[in-house]
Amino acid sequence: MIPLWLIPLFPLVGTIVLAIIALSSSDSKQGPAESITGAVAVLFPILSFLSVVTLSVGMPVEGIRGTIGTWIDTAAIQVNIGFLFDGLSRVMLLFITGIGSLIAIYSVGYMHKDRSFARFFAYINLFLFSMTILVLGDSLLLTFLGWEGVGLCSYLLIGFWHTDLKNTKAGNKAFIVNRVGDVGFLLGMLCLVSIGGSALLSYDALNAWLLNALSLGSISNAMPLLSLAGLLFFFGCTGKSAQIPLLTWLPDAMAGPTPVSALIHAATMVTSGVYLLARLSNLFVLIPAVLNIVLFVGLLTAFWAAIAGLFQNDIKKVLAYSTISQLGYMFMAAGVAAFDVSIFHVFTHAFFKAALFLGAGAVIHSLTGEQDMRRMGGLLKKMPLTSLVMIFGFLAIIGFPGFAGFWSKDLILERLYVSGPMGPYVYAIALLTAVITAVYMGRLIIMTFFGKYRGSKENEAHIHEAPASMLIPMLLLSVGSAFAGFLWAGLIPGAEFFREMLAPVVGAAQSYAMLGHTAAHLSPWIFAALGTLAAIIGMLIAWYLFMRPVPEAKGGSEPQGFGASWTFAFDKLHEYVGIIPTKVVAWLLDVVVNTIIMKAQWLTGGIIEILGDGIRAFQVRKVRLQAALSFIGMALITILVLIYGGLL
Amino acid sequence: MWLHLLVLAPFVAALLMVVTSGFDSKSTSRIAILLGTVFTVFSIRLISVGSIATTPIEWFTLPGTSSTIYYSLVSNGISVWLVFLSCFVSLIALIAAKDSFGINYKNFAIGIFALLGAMNGSFLASDAVLFFFFFEAMVLPAAVLIAAYGGLDRKAAAMNFAIYTLAGSAPMALALWYLLSVGEGSSVVHLTMAYQSAPESLKFILFASFALAFLVKTPLFPFHGWQAQAYAEAPAPLSAVLTGVMSKVGVFGFIFWVIPVFNAAESMMNTIMWIGLFTAVYGALMAIRATDAKNLLAFSSMGHLGLAVAGIFTFSTTMPSAVLVLLVAHGLSASAQFVLTGIAERFACSRDLKQMGGLASRNPMFGFLFGFAGIAALAVPGTAGFIGEFLILISLWEIGPLPALVAGVCLVLSAVYMLRFIQAVLFGKADQVKETPCHKISSFDAAAVGILLVLLVVFGVKPNLITDSLNGIVENEVVADMEVSQDAN
Amino acid sequence: MELQASYIQIVALALFTIGLAVTLTRRNVFFVLMGIELALNAVNLSLIGFAKTLPAAASVAGQILPLFTIAVAAAEACVGLAMIILIFKSQESVDIDNYSNMKG
Repeated sequence: MIPLWLIPLFPLVGTIVLAIIALSSSDSKQGPAESITGAVAVLFPILSFLSVVTLSVGMPVEGIRGTIGTWIDTAAIQVNIGFLFDGLSRVMLLFITGIGSLIAIYSVGYMHKDRSFARFFAYINLFLFSMTILVLGDSLLLTFLGWEGVGLCSYLLIGFWHTDLKNTKAGNKAFIVNRVGDVGFLLGMLCLVSIGGSALLSYDALNAWLLNALSLGSISNAMPLLSLAGLLFFFGCTGKSAQIPLLTWLPDAMAGPTPVSALIHAATMVTSGVYLLARLSNLFVLIPAVLNIVLFVGLLTAFWAAIAGLFQNDIKKVLAYSTISQLGYMFMAAGVAAFDVSIFHVFTHAFFKAALFLGAGAVIHSLTGEQDMRRMGGLLKKMPLTSLVMIFGFLAIIGFPGFAGFWSKDLILERLYVSGPMGPYVYAIALLTAVITAVYMGRLIIMTFFGKYRGSKENEAHIHEAPASMLIPMLLLSVGSAFAGFLWAGLIPGAEFFREMLAPVVGAAQSYAMLGHTAAHLSPWIFAALGTLAAIIGMLIAWYLFMRPVPEAKGGSEPQGFGASWTFAFDKLHEYVGIIPTKVVAWLLDVVVNTIIMKAQWLTGGIIEILGDGIRAFQVRKVRLQAALSFIGMALITILVLIYGGLL
Repeated sequence: MWLHLLVLAPFVAALLMVVTSGFDSKSTSRIAILLGTVFTVFSIRLISVGSIATTPIEWFTLPGTSSTIYYSLVSNGISVWLVFLSCFVSLIALIAAKDSFGINYKNFAIGIFALLGAMNGSFLASDAVLFFFFFEAMVLPAAVLIAAYGGLDRKAAAMNFAIYTLAGSAPMALALWYLLSVGEGSSVVHLTMAYQSAPESLKFILFASFALAFLVKTPLFPFHGWQAQAYAEAPAPLSAVLTGVMSKVGVFGFIFWVIPVFNAAESMMNTIMWIGLFTAVYGALMAIRATDAKNLLAFSSMGHLGLAVAGIFTFSTTMPSAVLVLLVAHGLSASAQFVLTGIAERFACSRDLKQMGGLASRNPMFGFLFGFAGIAALAVPGTAGFIGEFLILISLWEIGPLPALVAGVCLVLSAVYMLRFIQAVLFGKADQVKETPCHKISSFDAAAVGILLVLLVVFGVKPNLITDSLNGIVENEVVADMEVSQDAN
Repeated sequence: MELQASYIQIVALALFTIGLAVTLTRRNVFFVLMGIELALNAVNLSLIGFAKTLPAAASVAGQILPLFTIAVAAAEACVGLAMIILIFKSQESVDIDNYSNMKG
């Protein structure tokens, strides 16, 4: 059995090696050799993936635990650096390191001839390190290390091309919005610490404590704090997973290189909120009120982002909003305590969304950076393989029968109907959202691959299929988005492999949530049929609406009119709630309070100076006069002493 | 023995620097850096020795009182780390200033050594008058260095700094004199007894006079008038020392003089906690609005130290380790940032954030170090700052959710200004950077800053390296007694 | 005839007054310095005069004290002259009324 710490160690070593390469080659004109750098960059993620696979094969049901030392050890707080490898982290790690490796390979082609080739892969490796720590940590604090670490890498990678301030500003926004959520995470941890000491930061200890408190009946005392903790953790998740209200950063994050968008802002990092909910499932099922909030936030987000996706012209922005929308689905699933299903959707989504992003990246690459879909079109013939990948991803995301998204989305819809509060209504809105998903994704596919080419002439000349290093990962991912769903094909008897994998982690919580819940029993075939119908209706609407000439693109790719006010509603909200008050208070403190303090300070100084001037008037210019005055003063003192006998 | 060395040897070193030739700045700087290294090694040795005390030597008797003043030093778990910080940051300052001042380097080194001795003295003094002596003695070299080596407004900044801090500690001198005249000695215990026996009407004044000195020194709102200007005008290496170490003397004073002596004035303590929290928010917001790179760092320091002071006055069990880790982390990261900002100032020929930019593409090594230092200052987990702020948050949470929430807001605000700062200095088009003869960070500077950053990561992964010195207090008292008896023999 | 102690004091007082008057009225810095020296010697004289009134043993101690004063005064005169030379170099003037640079 290989030790657990190898999994994060490999990307960490990769980071250090690549950082050294990047820094040492910074003075040379042409930069480091891409072949060596690329080999190093890909090697370490693959090594990490291989160790995950090795560990997965022989993993006992209850998981593997390994502690490598103490982290914080003070009078009140003891936290260990320990790793927990169980059904949940196994799933997460498999696709994180697996897709991470594929995207690293893809990036070797994508970042070809970039001046900062080595730096890019150093960041990617650092990201993989943080992400593996996030899912492998056995305590909330260690997860938080990964949590902020991935946020940091996201910041670094969004602002990767830092000579353009627009990119770095998007990075700043991502980090700051995430920081707001992270404060929620931190405060949530503090709640747990004040309930039962720092031991509760460990997942195992927390679960044991909850179980114990539940059986003793003492849980109700801790209920207010537990609810608060749950709410705060969920707030942290909304930051990382781009849910209402902290979702504005994700569309802006598309400023980063496209492989980054695929890896971080679609497949892995943004799903860590869902991971955290599943990891804390035992806590969340005890506080149904918070779960309901999760459900409705997820529902609102999914619906809102689907509509916003309709208005985007930038191909990556469409995918960004679809990511937000799909994350909303995952949160909905978690909101009805269907944690295994939500993780399943994380899993399938990672494949098809990564495939879609990489396909989009290939399109952008061949169009030399053009991202506006109005300047694309007709690429089906010129890039058949890329189109195939994108269409596979498209079919998966809209839930076309047989593709990955079909299984997971269908399961989510079913659970919403069966076990959620106000099940039928929530189900209806979620189904409507599925229709809209098919519409905007259909729009993307039609505008990009069908019709006539509408872009510039010089770009048309060198439209080409991507190089092999980019194509192979794309094709592998498209295979994944076609077949990943069969790991839990609810309709196929005996194919519930996925659920069995997660059952040891979230099973107990889910059955607790189901206690006393009389499920309305409907045949799964009805849900499958309705889901398929939604996908087909959406496709037809998209065909009807968008299979026509597109008006010529003018200006930027930003949405206009109603689209803009809908899309930027939450940016406006942030501005009014967060940014403007901060600016006003800062202005008040700087211009008013600070001025008053400075004035008071100078006033005090001034008074003393005036007093000093008064006294200085005794100081005359002529030395002789000064001496005379001194003598007179001395004489006066002597006389006084003589008169009063020295008792003055 | 170590204590005497650490306090007195810097003054001897300063005298030594006087006799070196100023014109051969190269060898002067070598001697200075060598001496600085020796002190740093001493201070590391002191950390491993832990809590010790020297035999008190009778110094003088204050007229009008019956208290004898002793020259006596003592170290504890917190002060050993602050002494380490002062030695190490002074060394970094000496290294960073190596190429800046030419023939004037000699005098700079003299000032730094004098400052180092005074700072070590105030961290290690166990006698109130001795502490006060060193506390005041710090001001002189610092003010002279600002006035001699600073920017355009250096004279005003130095005057402002000196007058502000001296005026701030003048009431403390009076209060101290009063306590000595009613009490029997000048150790903490005697002062506490004297304070208990003081009339009720005087108690608040006594407390306020002591607190004022440290409020000004740290500084906390609204006594920060000197800080931004002094830090901005001082040469960057000196700013590193000022913020990295000297401001800690204020925090240290709160822990070791205000709290033990005035333990009765609990309600006032709570007020100071809120002042600290307000300062944290205030510093962060002012840093957001700052347009001058060093002003931004000054306000950022103010915010961090406000948080530290707020943490102290929670009196939670986590407090000593929380404050210690936060102080060490801030000392390291803030000094690194000041040194790097000084270098950036040389590259861009300006401190104005609008005039800077594009340094990352021009100078990747510098960009790496600067970005790293900025991220460490953000308290990202894995750096020492995170441990400190997390423990502080726990301490504040014990008081109530509101203080913790305020501290959380500070975390967000610190992200805002720090990322703006990084963006303004590193990112953007490279042609905004003026062509200057030197636009590469020297490998010596890079190594010096690199050590600071490595330490931040090491302490972030293994904070016990710092906090273990707190656990050792009890067992080391035996060692201290032995040391005392040895000295007596 | 025994020398009366008060006569000595009178002479000392006269000397001191002359010295003071010279110091305060003359503008030439050397005269000012001389005036100061004169006043100082008047004080020395006064000291001796008072010492004479004491019993023999103590009287000796009193008469030795001015010796010290004279020694110190010599040193002081050295320093004073040196300073005046320096000031003269920078001011090019011996007029004490011009020496007002120290005024804040």
